[in-house]
Amino acid sequence: MNISYNWLREYVDLDLEPGAVGEVLTMLGLEVDGIETIGPSLEGVVVGHVLEVQPHPNADRLTLCRVDLGDGEPVQIVCGAPNVAAGQYVPVATVGTTLHLPDRKNPAERVAVTIKSARLRGETSEGMICAEDELGLSDDHSGIMVLDGAATAGEPFRDYLARQGVSVQDTVYDVAITPNRPDAVSHIGVARDLAARLGKPLRKPAVELPEDGGAVAEQVTVRIEAPEACPRYVAMRVRGVTVQESPAWLQQRLRAVGLRPINNIVDVTNYVMYECGQPLHAFDVECLAGRSIVVREAGAGERFTTLDGKERLLPEGALMICDTERMVAIAGVMGGENSEVTDRTTDVLIESAYFDPASIRRTARALGMQTDASYRFERGVDPEGQVWAAARAAALMAELGGGRVEPGVVDAHPNPIERRAVRLRRGRLTQMLGVEVPVGDVEAYLTALGFELTPEGAVSYWCTVPSFRPDIEREVDVIEEVARLYGYDRIPEPDRIPIPNQVPREAPEARLRRRSRTVLLGRGFREVYVNSLLRRDVAERFNQPVLRAGRPAGAIVETLKPISQEMAALRPSLLPGVLQILAHNQNHGQDVLRFMEFGHVFVRADEAGAPVPGYAEHTALLLALSGPDTPVAWDRAPRAVDFFDLKGAVEDLLDALRLPDVTMTPVYDATPVTAYHLEVRAGDVRLGIVARLAEAVQEAYDLREPVYFAELDWDALVDRAAERLEPAYQPVSRFPVVSRDLAVLVDRDQPAGPLLAAIREAGGALLLEATVFDLYQGDRLEPGKKSLAFALRFGADRTLTDREVDACVQGIVAVLEQRFGARLRQ
Amino acid sequence: MLDQIEDLKRRIEAETLDSEEAVEAYRIRYLGQRNGLVTLLARQMSQVPRAERPAVGQALNALKRLAEQRLEDARNRLRQHRQTRPVDLDLTLPGRRAFVGSVHPLTQTLEDITRFFERYGFSVETGPEIEDDWHNFTALNFPPDHPARDMQDTFFLEEPTQGKDGVVLRTHTSPVQIRVMESRRPPLRIIAPGRVYRNEAISFKSFCLFHQVEGLYVDEGVSMADLKQILHAFARALFGDDVQMRFRPSFFPFTEPSAEVDIWWPDANRPGGGRWMEILGCGMVDPNVLEACGIDAERYTGYAFGMGVERITMLRYDIDDIRIFYENDLRFLQQF
Repeated sequence: MNISYNWLREYVDLDLEPGAVGEVLTMLGLEVDGIETIGPSLEGVVVGHVLEVQPHPNADRLTLCRVDLGDGEPVQIVCGAPNVAAGQYVPVATVGTTLHLPDRKNPAERVAVTIKSARLRGETSEGMICAEDELGLSDDHSGIMVLDGAATAGEPFRDYLARQGVSVQDTVYDVAITPNRPDAVSHIGVARDLAARLGKPLRKPAVELPEDGGAVAEQVTVRIEAPEACPRYVAMRVRGVTVQESPAWLQQRLRAVGLRPINNIVDVTNYVMYECGQPLHAFDVECLAGRSIVVREAGAGERFTTLDGKERLLPEGALMICDTERMVAIAGVMGGENSEVTDRTTDVLIESAYFDPASIRRTARALGMQTDASYRFERGVDPEGQVWAAARAAALMAELGGGRVEPGVVDAHPNPIERRAVRLRRGRLTQMLGVEVPVGDVEAYLTALGFELTPEGAVSYWCTVPSFRPDIEREVDVIEEVARLYGYDRIPEPDRIPIPNQVPREAPEARLRRRSRTVLLGRGFREVYVNSLLRRDVAERFNQPVLRAGRPAGAIVETLKPISQEMAALRPSLLPGVLQILAHNQNHGQDVLRFMEFGHVFVRADEAGAPVPGYAEHTALLLALSGPDTPVAWDRAPRAVDFFDLKGAVEDLLDALRLPDVTMTPVYDATPVTAYHLEVRAGDVRLGIVARLAEAVQEAYDLREPVYFAELDWDALVDRAAERLEPAYQPVSRFPVVSRDLAVLVDRDQPAGPLLAAIREAGGALLLEATVFDLYQGDRLEPGKKSLAFALRFGADRTLTDREVDACVQGIVAVLEQRFGARLRQ
Repeated sequence: MLDQIEDLKRRIEAETLDSEEAVEAYRIRYLGQRNGLVTLLARQMSQVPRAERPAVGQALNALKRLAEQRLEDARNRLRQHRQTRPVDLDLTLPGRRAFVGSVHPLTQTLEDITRFFERYGFSVETGPEIEDDWHNFTALNFPPDHPARDMQDTFFLEEPTQGKDGVVLRTHTSPVQIRVMESRRPPLRIIAPGRVYRNEAISFKSFCLFHQVEGLYVDEGVSMADLKQILHAFARALFGDDVQMRFRPSFFPFTEPSAEVDIWWPDANRPGGGRWMEILGCGMVDPNVLEACGIDAERYTGYAFGMGVERITMLRYDIDDIRIFYENDLRFLQQF
């Protein structure tokens, strides 16, 4: 909310500059989000002494003035005002001054004009004698401003005004009031905090409080039919007022905080609201049938026209202010068109109520309205502040509208809110803050904030909480008040930090994730962060069992009332997000594309141990690649990546994580998202797939090159890998290794994997390593055949003889011949 | 003998050693094991009269050194010559680079943050992104009609109904506090990094999700002074030893007293030479939160803090649009 520096000074003496006050507010927890200086600067405007006035020789309406500006030689100024006269002290805008003059065509606007040395109808003019509107002091343009009181030629006009108690400039703070501080949504509330922090007294305006009952009680009746929602309703009456424009000082106050002045009655209600935080409403008594107020809740389907002229469908249970016949206001939100104060109003009923915060919040939200009043009621106004605010407003209306306040007040108060008392232990205070606040300071702070303290022995107090602080319920809330005023910045930081003697071990997941990133980084993968929310149709398309690594399938998870359809569902897979990134980068001229992402994926399914039953959420790891295998270089020609680039990356990854018993089973059948894939397992745990993206999907994303991706169940992977975080060391053999190559002819459609597995099996303990080092299926072979070549390495804890190795190789060949019809290639 | 030495010396000095062949011939002629002239001369030492031996020996040694020196010089010269640039060598061609990927800047910031807190004995905990009302709101002392519980701010997956909690996308990482406190007893010292969601329009300064790191320390005697201390140490670690930090009162339902932490961000273009930038929110764990988890709030106190990883990353690298983190343009990623 907007808080004016000048306005604050009515309640507390401020020696500090506006900027410094802003700092103090922020450090009190009233965060200043912005500071703005408003009002004319009047830089260059000085007091001038009119020495002589002569008619202008060439213009009837102009006069020539000789004006002393206090700097020696008087200057000549041409003036058009009828009231200028010798001997006057007047404000003069000197040459070079920029004024914001009212635009004569559009009085609401002002235009910047710099005063120049000029000739007006042949006579020189060195400046401008100003009217109030030209200085931005008021809208008065009846003549130049004639200064009364002591003025000195040449002194800055600002200084003169300051002596008169007029501040032309003001500083306005945009203060972010946290929801726990309903008391601070007013100038007095903010001033109270400042006064308490600065050790100065708080000056509340003196208001004569009316006797309960009195004449008003005989004239006006108030009936509360919803005491839960309306614990208190106070009414006062001001009769014989003239509705007119408010005086300049009041308009200035309201404009400073961003309000538009309307008329003296409405302006007073707003002024008092910004002064003390109590929203008020003024009814035209003539419009209240039976001069009665009935507070009740709206029924279903009722409609009401608010004073902004809009007809609204009321939510059932909305608290309404009514007379004996009809509704006249939505309580705490906005008044009605049918009872508002108009130019013809002479008789005003002031409403000053306490409405239940939750009730007002429900109504305001349901109507999609936030008004100055609802904002305050929602937070909770001072339940003891209604009479004061009504009396303050009544007195001001009578003063500004020429009416009289009807004696007495109607104070319907079915549910008085009791003041709380909270115990504050000094030991607890010190322990919580880590510093001992001097006892005198504690008492001074709390007293200044409105607490009443009753010491209980030497170690604690009973603190009676002021009625305007509904947020203070417990000891810790009082501790916060002390800390706030003492200053968080004064709490000392200890020099040392105690650390437990058992430092927690890093979680295996974090360690494995870091290791994976390092491996994948080395293989050119770039990590991406993708939005987990997507359109429903996209989520549906990728909600495929093949991507679930054996986890239960289920419907996609949808969000209720997302603000955009792009956020309607949660991703069931990481694939769609990465495809979008591939497309984005491809369309921005990139070709070497390799991405990895760790992220949560979601479906609606029942899984044992789920934190929220019915929702299956797990972390997945996605790898995707497309385009050339490397960037272009001078010594090699990049080729298009293929499935084995990705398979290799996955093998490297699983190796680095030391996953035991990894198998990859080919699936040559297509699914809606894959053309073909490998199913990856560690033992019998399914880890996910390595796949080529289905061409239809590739086309749907306008991807020019084939895409290969692996989506792995990271949680399952971590579970398995966590069993073997540390490498199992094997002593290095000191005996030589014997290498043999073996090339065999097999049928073309014979996969290599089973041969390799058979070789490993047949090789037994002596065979340390077997790899495929050549694949040939060219013309030099007989039709329908291909050649596979294997590199074998043998070794043992002794030196192997050629005979042993030969025997082993023969055994392998025999198995290959038998099982696969392989023929040794010479 | 001395004459012979002198004669040989002149011949050695006169030799031209400009090729491998000449050098090899020279070596054989003078220093050859069998018939080298210097070698042969040295063999005659035994015939030199005893009285002349010291002088002759000296001269002979000098001759031998000279012969060897010339040989070495010539070899060095030739080696150097040999090493001059072959015609087809271009050292300015680019090296054969490995083709390295990159770690997302958010991960880098996240790791810097967790590394710091791990050094002070915090362990890393995680929790689900789909949360129930209890963990996301109720246990954290959000009143039933708090605005955050409104659909305008929070993604609901299920609305709360009579007798059944609502289900939401967590709006902060604070529910991890609750999950940890429900299952373990103090002392507790944890951080919880993770993704959180807000049902907000996407713009340069807000996205529908972001990442937070939550911190929690509960033990006997934990005070606000301890909180200030760890966060100041953190700010120094992340933003430099001369970082200016301020701690100002604020409000969160789950801490009391609550604070926000700003650091001073110098900017020569601004009046005042910079501005305060908020980096995190924190406070002492509200007793209601401890009680909701069955922890004795009289015996134990604690602090908690939460920071936005995007925000801190944006500050560190002067990034002005949060959406760029989720666009994953290679030209962005490869800078980190």
